[in-house]
Formats: sequence, structure tokens, C-alpha cells
Amino acid sequence: MQGFFPYLVRRLLWAPVILLAVSFIAFTITRLGPGDPVSVAMGQFRDQEVLERVRAEKGLDKPLIEQYGIYLKNLAHGDLGESYVYKNTDIGELIFPKMWVSAQLGLVALIIVFSVGIPLGTFAALKQGERADPLSIGSFLFLQSVPVLIMVPLMQYVFVLKLHWLPTGGWDGIFDKRIIMPALAMSMGGIAGVARITRAMTLNVLGEDYVRTARAKGLREFTVLRRHVARNALLPLVTIIGISLVSLLEGAFFAETLLGIPGIGRFSFDSVHNRDYDAMMALTLIIATGFILANIVVDIAYTLIDPRIRYDSRKSG
Amino acid sequence: MKRLRAVAPFFIVLLMAITALSCSSGDKSSVDEPGNGDTQPTGNSSGATLRLTGPDPLTLDPALASDASSASYVVEIFDGLVTIDKDLQIVPDIAKSWDISADGKVYTFHLRDNVFFHGESRAVTADDFKYSMERAANPDTASITAEAYLGDIVGAKDMVNGDADSISGVEVVDNFTLRITIDAAKPYFLAKLSYPTAFVVDRMQVEGDKRNWTKKPRGTGPYMVEKWELTESLTLKANDKYHLGAPAVKKIEFLLAGGSVMTMYENAEIDVSPVGINDIDRVTDPNDSLNADYMTANSMSISYIGFNVNEAPFDDPKVRQAFGMAIDRDKITEVVVHDMLPVAHSIMPPGLPGYNPNAKTLSYDPERAKQLLAESKYADDMPKVTLSDVGAGATAGQDTQAMIEMWKTNLGIEIEIVQTDEATFWQDLDKGEYQMFTAGWVMDYPDPEDILDILFYSQSRQNNTQYSNPQVDDLLVQARTEQDTAKRMALYQQAEQIILDDAAWIPLYNGRDHILVKPYVKGYLLPPMVIPRLKYISIVQ
Repeated sequence: MQGFFPYLVRRLLWAPVILLAVSFIAFTITRLGPGDPVSVAMGQFRDQEVLERVRAEKGLDKPLIEQYGIYLKNLAHGDLGESYVYKNTDIGELIFPKMWVSAQLGLVALIIVFSVGIPLGTFAALKQGERADPLSIGSFLFLQSVPVLIMVPLMQYVFVLKLHWLPTGGWDGIFDKRIIMPALAMSMGGIAGVARITRAMTLNVLGEDYVRTARAKGLREFTVLRRHVARNALLPLVTIIGISLVSLLEGAFFAETLLGIPGIGRFSFDSVHNRDYDAMMALTLIIATGFILANIVVDIAYTLIDPRIRYDSRKSG
Repeated sequence: MKRLRAVAPFFIVLLMAITALSCSSGDKSSVDEPGNGDTQPTGNSSGATLRLTGPDPLTLDPALASDASSASYVVEIFDGLVTIDKDLQIVPDIAKSWDISADGKVYTFHLRDNVFFHGESRAVTADDFKYSMERAANPDTASITAEAYLGDIVGAKDMVNGDADSISGVEVVDNFTLRITIDAAKPYFLAKLSYPTAFVVDRMQVEGDKRNWTKKPRGTGPYMVEKWELTESLTLKANDKYHLGAPAVKKIEFLLAGGSVMTMYENAEIDVSPVGINDIDRVTDPNDSLNADYMTANSMSISYIGFNVNEAPFDDPKVRQAFGMAIDRDKITEVVVHDMLPVAHSIMPPGLPGYNPNAKTLSYDPERAKQLLAESKYADDMPKVTLSDVGAGATAGQDTQAMIEMWKTNLGIEIEIVQTDEATFWQDLDKGEYQMFTAGWVMDYPDPEDILDILFYSQSRQNNTQYSNPQVDDLLVQARTEQDTAKRMALYQQAEQIILDDAAWIPLYNGRDHILVKPYVKGYLLPPMVIPRLKYISIVQ
């Protein structure tokens, strides 16, 4: 474990460099695109003189590199900027409450994905060759192929209009029943994926010598599964957590839009559409930070789960 | 506010249709008949609270509201000297009366002495109006509507441009008398004062916290803000001291986050719902239980195809006319739009003072269209034609596709569609880069000047067709200052017909709203433009 801390420090030191590169690329791409937030905001009040005046007030007439410098300076002071769309409103004020909503929703969906996917995959592996194997995975594959865009209205039809169990949409925190529909709709896609990987890996491990040895020692089947099979079979799933976050983000856009949830999904779309520069920047940077951290956490998790993986600072990890 | 988010009402219908994707149960039998013992909730269970959905306001600052969404809330919370009533007449608001000088340039407003800011005991005075208008014109406020709405006042433009510290044309005569001088006799000036830019704001509050005061602003209007959660909800509370009488509904809750509005309506979570194209057939079916709640009304807007009259081939009026006659608008409206929008037969939308029911647009006549094209100077040498459209880069609207097909069939011309997003569209339109484009116009105040002068006067900055006709210019200039209303409207109608004959536009549809309103909600208006309307509503259980 001696090489681990230098490795961690090196990874953490790289993070700001990567973020700086991301910010520069995002900044350039957003501003080089046609149209700007002022022309969107002004709509048909498009008087060239007024446009120029407002642009100057917002500093949009300065050279790109100077604008970037100002942005970085403000960012260093923790200032994410001001919305070009919502007047007199800080980006932080807009984004953080929405991020919190989406994060809670995403977390619940993620928990459902893994807590249903792993047992399902293990079950299918143990029933290999029996009818229950293709049936269980197949049914979830079917659910996976129904997009959120269709899943949500279907759920609304059943749970809201027919059974009157749930309200149509909205948001009132993680312990409110309104979370049921979006969390279910968003997790459907992931369950089958996790189950299939769990199944494949479990089958792989079940054929290993050490499993046979463990069984030969007379260990109880549950102990074999938990200590010898699960620990080895679940390793690839750690990697999937990172990828799952991306697909959750996609699902969140539709679920949030259709269910009127004040999360980040719909807001991201609107920000791009309205050229809300600082909002786009903040979203990009926050998401990039999230991914960098998630990857570091996954790497650390590897060393904890898999004794074969050791990071050595001298022989690059 | 003319942008109304999208370029054409049709685009809005499409958006509604997308939203309705989630709303439509698709199965008519799913709607339970009332009174059959079903457990489906009926009635407004939330007491005297009216539950609505609404567009997201971008600001509640009257000086900054430039979009229809923001304006629709601002007019309920704030007031101006004058307002527009439900018959679209300019009527007294904070000003109880006014005198206009013989030359039509000096307006003297006599203010009521019983108008108070929400929760305050200080009466609104002429000083407050002077402060509010100057604040709107102050470049620091960065209002984008100040020049358009206050620009007629002497000295207002100087202040907007940073050349003056006050508006010389706004004078406080005494506490309750305000004198405003404008640069020329303009009969539409009062109408402009009904727009939020000229509304009164509470100086104490604004100066107290310039940045955050709009989070819970103190206006003088029929409703005050109780709680505003950005992009989530806005709760309004009745102003019992409202100078024109306390409104009947004591609390109104707007859900701003969107979602499946139609389903919410069917599940009795909200009291009013817009109807999308997917649901229009079932709610207009007299046998459907929702049909009794259905309401529809025209809005003062129009979508159209504009030609750049300086660009080949549309610099030849015959080509423009041929294009106009080669499309069957009635059929498109029926088949594609499900008759949700009425075909436009004029430039000035119905309901607008001056609207001419006898205006003539080009009728569908493919033979004549072919003939006109053959007579044009591009008969043998048709350049490539591109139609610019707002869109997300996927397929064009079905109505646009239908028109493209008709031009191809009837004129033999292949037209390319270029879609850009809104931001780029406006910018390129301003630069005159489009040959032909689809766009829309929403009226801000009920006066023909707001559409004809702004879009077709040769020197107007928003003349996107580059249309220039000395005869039309003469009529428009004359109409600006004509004091006799009947004569003035006749001038506009004359100009309108010339523009239609010249085919600078192909008018497509007028706006039309379709909604469902619960039976216990009375007095719910569907006004054709943004006006204060919540005060007319009551809930009768």
C-alpha cells in the first residue's frame, strides 16, 4: 500500500489541470457558436444599438481571451457568474438547488439499479440452463428497451389516472411518493445491464478452481457465494457506476421534463438553447468535477475490493 | 415580448403536442363519466386557492420584462397610469383621468390618492412615476424595452443613451399630477403606457436592495407575491387594498416546472390546462366528458412566411405572388394543424382595432401561380431557393413540409430548408441574410402601429423583409399622427392591402388558445394578448 498515497496525490493534482482544459474548451465552444445570450433575450426587440449597448454592459464585446481571464478570476473567488436569462440571479442560486434535486433522484435510481440488478444477475447465473434464467433477464431487457419518454406516460396512465395511487408529478424530496415514478423509470434501463454483467461474471467465477476448492472444503453455499464468488464477480460493476451516471443523466432529462421535476436535466437543455453562457460553463465544470472525483473513488475502491490491484508510484499505476 | 419564445404559434402548438405526449392517455374510454361512482377526485379540494400552470417568468421587474411570460405576471402585480380592460380598451388605472393638449403632445395625468404599495401605507405619487420611468430609462437598469415603450417621451432616448440624467418630458406638477410631453402627436402613446416598462415601482424597496427586490416585489396590483421559487412555483395572494376593488380569488398558485399538465388536470391537481394537438380531437368531441370544460379563443398573433424583397428571386413581386398562390393554406390547416389555428386572411390579426375582415390575401390558384411564374423575370432561370426556419435541426414542421411539397408540385421548384436555433435565427434575420423565412408576430399593444409600422415602414429597424414602398410609407407616416380614429384605421387598412397585394408576406395562421377550465372556475378569460385578467376570476364550489 506504500505507493498508494503518492498516486492519490498525483491524481488529485491532475484534477485542476484537467478542469482548466475542460473550462477552456467549453468556454471557447460556447462563445464561438453562432448567436449569443443577448440576441436570444432580446428576441424581436432587436435594435442594433441596444444590442451593442447590452453586450458591452455584459462584457461580451471584449476579446475572447480577456473574457476567459475574467471568468477564471471570478471563478477563483467562487463566483460562478450571473444568469443571462433569469435577471439578477446568480448561477449558484439557480443551479445548486436543482443539482441537489437531481442528485437525490439519481442516487435513489442508482440504488434501485444495483439492488435489483445484482441479485437478479446472480439468480440468473445460478439458474443457468433453466427457464428462469432467460425469463428473468429477458423481462428486464424488455423494460430496458422502453424509453423513459414512453415509460413515464405509461406509468402515469396506470398509477395516476387508473389507480389513483400517485400524483401526476412534481417533487417533494426523497421520502415523498412522487419520487417513485421518476426513480423507477430512470432505473429500468440500468437494471438489465447490471444483471447481465453480474450474470456473466458470476458464471465466470463459478467455474474457477478456488470456488470448487471452497465447496470441496465443505463451506456452506451461501458462504461460498458471498466470500468467493461475489467479491470477485462484482469488481467490474464498480466501473459501471461511473458509466451509469451518464445514462442516468440522460434519463433524468426526460423524466424531469415529463414529471415537472425542478432538476438539472431540463435546465441544462434550456441553458444551451438560451445561450446562458455562465450556466453552461457551471454545468460543464460541475459535471466534469463529478466525473473526475467518481473515477478517483472507483480507483480507490478497486484497491479495497481487489487485493491484486496495487498502485505503485514508481511503476505508474 | 414579441418573441413569445417561438417563431410561430404553430411552433408552440408543436411544443404543446410534445408535452401532450405524456398527457394523452390515447384511450377515450379512459375518461370516466362524472357521477358514476368512480373514486376519481373531482372539485377543487384546496379551498379558495386557484391552481394553475404557467410559463416560467424570467424576472418580475417591470423594467426588465421583455418576454410574454414575465409580462403576464408583472401585469398582475404592478400597475401603470393606464391599463387595458377585457374589451381591450385603454382605461384609467392609477391615473383616474387625463387631459391631452390640443396639439396632442402634452398629457396631464391626474392620479388617484388611494393607491398603496403592497403592505405599505404610503400612497403612490407622481414622484414615484417619475422615478420609475427614469429608472427604466437609466442605462444601469439595462432595460431592453425602455427605448421602444418610453422612447416617444421627450428626453427619454437621451437618458437611455446615457446623455441625460433624467427624462425632461416627465414633470411632477404636484403630488398627484404628472405631466408627460411626447415628441409628436401619437394616438398610440397611451397604449404604450399600458406596458410594464411604464409601471410604478416602490423606490424604497428598489433602492434598498437593487439586486434582490424582485424576488418578492411590492407592486400596487390586484395580486402580491407570497412566494416565488425560481422555476418551480409562484404563489400570489390577493391585495385586499387594491384600488379597483379586492379580487375574488384569495390565493393563486402557479406551477412553473411543467410536466404532464393534461394528466394533472384529469387527476384534479390543477384547475386549468392547455390542450395540445394530441388531445384536441377528444376534448372537442361533444361525447367526451372533458368537452364541457373546453374553451377556445383567438390570440392576437400571426405566423407568416416572409420574403426578402431585395433577394433574387423574390425581388420580383410575381414570384412572391406565385409562391403565395401555390399553397393551399386551408388544406394545410385542416390536415396538419387539425384546425387548431385559424387561417390568416390579413396582416392585422382579428380583434385588433383596425382589423379588416375584408382584407384579401392571395387565394389558392395553382394555374394562375404557374402563369405568374412564367411571366416573371426568373421564368427560365430560377435561382436556388432556401427557406429558413427555427428548429432544433430535426425535421421541419409538418406544415412547412406540406408547403414545400405544394411548391414543388405546383411550381416545380425544389426548396431547401435550413433550420437554425432561435439565437442564430434572429441574428441572421437582422443581417438580412435570409431569402425566405417563417416567423411570427405577437401584438404588444392593441394598435396597428405595433405591427404595420414596425414591420413594413421602409426605415424601421425591424423591417426584415426589406419591404420599401413609398406609398405605404406615406400612409404609415400619416397614420402615426392622425387624430381621427376612423380615418387613422382606414389609412392602416389601405397600407395593409397594398402590402398584401405586393405579397411581402404570406400570412399563414392566427394564434388561438385551447384550454380546459374546471366548471367551478368562473370568469376565466382567454384574452388575445397579455392583460391583467386574474381579478376577473372567482371560484364557485
